[in-house]
Amino acid sequence: MKPKSYYEASARERMAAFLDPGSFQEFLPPTDRVSSPHLRQLDQPGAFDDGILVGSGRLAGHPVLAAAQEGVFMGGAVGEVHGAKLVGLLERTLVTRPAAVILLLETGGVRLHEANAGLVAVSEVMHAVLAVRVAGIPVLVLDGGQFGCFGGMGIVAALCDAVVMSEEGRLGLSGPEVIEASRGVEEFDSRDRALVWRTVGGKHRYLLGEATRLVEDTVPAFREAAIGLLGTLPVFGLEDLEAEHARLQGRLERFGDCRESFEIWTRLGIEDPQALPLLETSAFLAQVGGKRG
Amino acid sequence: MNGDWSRAARSREGRVARGMIAGGGRIVSRQKIIELLEAVIEPGDRVCIEGNNQKQADFLSKSLAATDPAKVRDLHLVQSVLALPSHVDLIERGQVARIDFSFSGPQAGRLAKLVEGGRIQIGAIHTYLELFGRYFIDLTPQVALIAAQMADAEGNLYTGPNTEDTPAIVEATAFKNGLVIAQVNQIVDKLPRVDIPAGWVNFVVQAPTPHYVEPLFTRDPAQISEIQVLMAMMAIKGIYAEYGITRLNHGIGFDTAAIELLLPTYAAELGLRGKICTHWALNPHPTLIPAIEAGFVKSVHCFGSEVGMEPYVAARPDIFFVGADGSMRSNRAFSQTAGHYACDLFIGSTLQIDLAGNSSTATKGRIAGFGGAPNMGADARGRRHASPAWLKAGSEDARNTGMPRGRKLVVQTVETFREHMEPAFVERLDAWEVGESAGMALPPVMIYGDDVSHIITEEGIANLLLCRTAEEREQAIRGVAGYTQVGLARDRRAVENLRDRGIVRRPEDLGINPRLATRDLLAARSIKDLVRASGGLYDPPKRFRNW
Repeated sequence: MKPKSYYEASARERMAAFLDPGSFQEFLPPTDRVSSPHLRQLDQPGAFDDGILVGSGRLAGHPVLAAAQEGVFMGGAVGEVHGAKLVGLLERTLVTRPAAVILLLETGGVRLHEANAGLVAVSEVMHAVLAVRVAGIPVLVLDGGQFGCFGGMGIVAALCDAVVMSEEGRLGLSGPEVIEASRGVEEFDSRDRALVWRTVGGKHRYLLGEATRLVEDTVPAFREAAIGLLGTLPVFGLEDLEAEHARLQGRLERFGDCRESFEIWTRLGIEDPQALPLLETSAFLAQVGGKRG
Repeated sequence: MNGDWSRAARSREGRVARGMIAGGGRIVSRQKIIELLEAVIEPGDRVCIEGNNQKQADFLSKSLAATDPAKVRDLHLVQSVLALPSHVDLIERGQVARIDFSFSGPQAGRLAKLVEGGRIQIGAIHTYLELFGRYFIDLTPQVALIAAQMADAEGNLYTGPNTEDTPAIVEATAFKNGLVIAQVNQIVDKLPRVDIPAGWVNFVVQAPTPHYVEPLFTRDPAQISEIQVLMAMMAIKGIYAEYGITRLNHGIGFDTAAIELLLPTYAAELGLRGKICTHWALNPHPTLIPAIEAGFVKSVHCFGSEVGMEPYVAARPDIFFVGADGSMRSNRAFSQTAGHYACDLFIGSTLQIDLAGNSSTATKGRIAGFGGAPNMGADARGRRHASPAWLKAGSEDARNTGMPRGRKLVVQTVETFREHMEPAFVERLDAWEVGESAGMALPPVMIYGDDVSHIITEEGIANLLLCRTAEEREQAIRGVAGYTQVGLARDRRAVENLRDRGIVRRPEDLGINPRLATRDLLAARSIKDLVRASGGLYDPPKRFRNW
């Protein structure tokens, strides 16, 4: 049998296989039934963990705190309780000082049913992530689930120290359907799945430098990548922020007029860009080595 | 006798002469196609617009629906499908008096309204084979509008992997004084091979866009549920292995795709490689790739092709029917015959099953037709050659008393509830009402209960062959109908009794642990896995990609 696909696994399966076996201790587990008061009022089905599990565990022996969003429940959308669990986990970091915080994100962003409470929750998460980073504790994002990582949580991912993606993962602000709905099918055809993946998928995000690592779609591959990043990430400071802004400005100047990922890849000096989507991850990494934007 | 024996032949000569003038020659420009059709088609003609669930003569169909209704009228359509909007437009424009067909699929709702409004008379709804048969008896087309991939200047045609219905239609039409008009994607100097000789073709037109082909048989493994994995395990262990099924046909759907994807994993673990599923009548299902690559499959004959599978099929000539030019040739009529007479098992899904095991895909307000399933899913009473699977099924059949004979296995695989929590098991099929409202002679039953040998659900397998009475049969069906109303109304003692006799078998009776039925067993879990398994040869349509 093949190793467990990260894309197909549930949040609980991912967490169990990602951390050292048996090390995960969940805070506010489903038995505590801390679920959304808003969904109850709207007569919508809820989840006993509000679609996220948070807790502590070990990664290759190092103590870590970790959270995993469950995409199957409302597309991993962030509601008030869901967001509070995430913020609480991040704030606990400042007390327990683990080796890292790992966020297994799979989310469309704010849960629309909870409106302002969801928006406030996401902004609190952003604030907490930056506080944790300034305190010298790295925050890692894993993105390889079926719903990708979009909306406010796409911004959160960009605020973290490192993002590990698989090709199947997607990362962005507005999701493909949202873009099509607001700007028209001529702007972006969300049903052209090849277009969607070469625009927001893992390979393109890696080439743009938004994903730190690109891995095969297996839970062990994500684990190995995260272990490899532990201890390598510098403490975040103002110079890093300014350097990042300068990098983004440079990227805009270099690729701002491109209409298609293929044009960017060509400009990056990659031979036969049309072949990239079909390549296996290892072949892809060999092909694009040293040519990231 | 000095009668006149060649009126039809002279009529064809007249039509060809008129067509040569209207079209300006054998190779007709697309701007003149409507004039050509108006010149050669006479009121009351039987016309076949080629098309089926895969390729469609869409340009000719659209052109026919743009002819002058005063000239082209009272047509009798005799064709496999009424699936294109232009087919139904032609009826709505009042140019069609009568239709004989097999399948209407996407136009089923519009067709039902036209019938209810008395706008059209349905002669009959057939299976593909039946309609092909009638082309040679009493429904021979006077004009056939067909689709091919390429033509040469003489009018020879290359139909290639999507040959499908073309040979049957052209054979009947061309040899009984009919007129054959072909739309082609390309006109070339030299064809890869000749599928239809120029002498059987009267006019050729290059269509503005390639003829439409639907990727109908592509199932994304990502959408296969774990319940379908469980049912596939039961099919493999409880039926394929027990009867030693080597020659078979699979209906379309995720249930059968799951079986195909379990062959290289679960079936191989059971030691079944080479013992089951070696010879197939099947379209080139992408989900069969892992089984082919694992050496499970020896031969596949195809009804049609499948979009994106052409390079893979061409690279596996030991498995598929590939011409000397290197491309496959399908043939629906022959593959249907093969499925009916040369296969020991058919397995497919359905929408409704009643207490006698009759099944139907007819739902209210839609006239969907039959296609090929009834010929695949029927015991071949004319079959005479024996095989171990056929003999074993025959020996179990409680109706076989006296003269020994074999039996085809016809298996229905359904989840007890389908989408929107509609029960798959019902007391009375919707087909009764559909038949009455459309004025049909019979309710449109897809597979008759007395042809069904087994029903598989997530609750278990019901072996209907072993049932001795109608009551036993009913309880066996209720016994696997789970929490549907039909299932809840079962007689528990009777069902336990049937279980003791092996007529109803639960997963645990088969030694299957439902907890082990996970997607991890699938040899491919995504379309990309299928591309990998094919060594990059399979080129799936864009809508199925996530890379």
